[in-house]
Amino acid sequence: MKECELIRDRLAEYAVGGLRGRMRKRVEAHVGACSDCRAELTALERTGVLLDSVGAQEAPTETWEAVRLRISERPRARVRARMRWGWAMGAVALVALVLAVFLARPPAAQEPVVVIAVEADEEMQATMDGHLSAVWAAPLSDVAGVGLRMATLENGG
Amino acid sequence: MSEDRNEVQDLVVRARAGEADAFEALYRAYQGGIYTFIWSQVREPELAADLTQDTFVRAWESLPRLRQAGAFRGWLYRIARNLVRDEVRSGHARLETVASALAGDGDPGLHEPAAESDGPEDVLVTKEMKGEVWRALESLTPEQREAVVMHHMQGMGTSEIAKVMGVRPGTVMSRLARARDALRKQLSGYVERSDEGMRTHTR
Repeated sequence: MKECELIRDRLAEYAVGGLRGRMRKRVEAHVGACSDCRAELTALERTGVLLDSVGAQEAPTETWEAVRLRISERPRARVRARMRWGWAMGAVALVALVLAVFLARPPAAQEPVVVIAVEADEEMQATMDGHLSAVWAAPLSDVAGVGLRMATLENGG
Repeated sequence: MSEDRNEVQDLVVRARAGEADAFEALYRAYQGGIYTFIWSQVREPELAADLTQDTFVRAWESLPRLRQAGAFRGWLYRIARNLVRDEVRSGHARLETVASALAGDGDPGLHEPAAESDGPEDVLVTKEMKGEVWRALESLTPEQREAVVMHHMQGMGTSEIAKVMGVRPGTVMSRLARARDALRKQLSGYVERSDEGMRTHTR
């Protein structure tokens, strides 16, 4: 009887296909041998058949005409508005990105100056001279050179 | 319609591009299921019809944002579910009783043919039995009722239902099992075995 109680607790789960593995096999073995539990399982399965048979129902009134009118009056106005906002926000984000990159470059160019001031050797000096020559020839052609020149001026060069 | 996934996906793609004819075909295919789903929750035919209409208008407006055409049905049910929840939250509808609706003219179950044969055991399902099933559904929680309607009356699988309800498939399975247990007791007169075999019902 104790086994019947345990199996009854899981029969609905079994009937809806929710049992797996050992428990499923245990239920199958039990209902194969116990007529009462088998009858209970049959009732649960017949309940499922009954539910399946009810099917979808028809609405009391025809609503397509009303739906058609509503969607033709405002065809996706909200969606289009959101899409326009999406493009606008994308453009703003792109401009902001370009500005951020542009503004972030001078500090990056100045950083080597600090290192050069401490560790400059002949090779580095040649590199610095190259940059400075480029800046003198065309002031905006070499960003690193501009930074280097500014740092040199600050240090009295 | 649900058998031909390619045809549905084609309709969804065309409707998404703005073809009202394709959207009408989708409406024809799913409005019965959506209406039944909503009615099973709010129990008021006029309100259910209005919310069905709102569901499709909302779907039309939002369709450009649906990326997977194959997910259309579940997505549509999710819209309907949210509209029902909003309606209940606003105090205009309740999710509980069915008896008053069944007593009136608006019972959707009474629009069906008087009887039909179904199931492996040829259960003769009468109009009266369908009414009993709807009454029995009253004993379920709203979540169990949603799962039962989507699974048994719309033929949806547990994974699809889980996406509509925002839960795991195991939770859906558990709701279906508890609902089956409760309904088996409610419908015992129709589903229990008699001495001479399965009970046969006639009109």
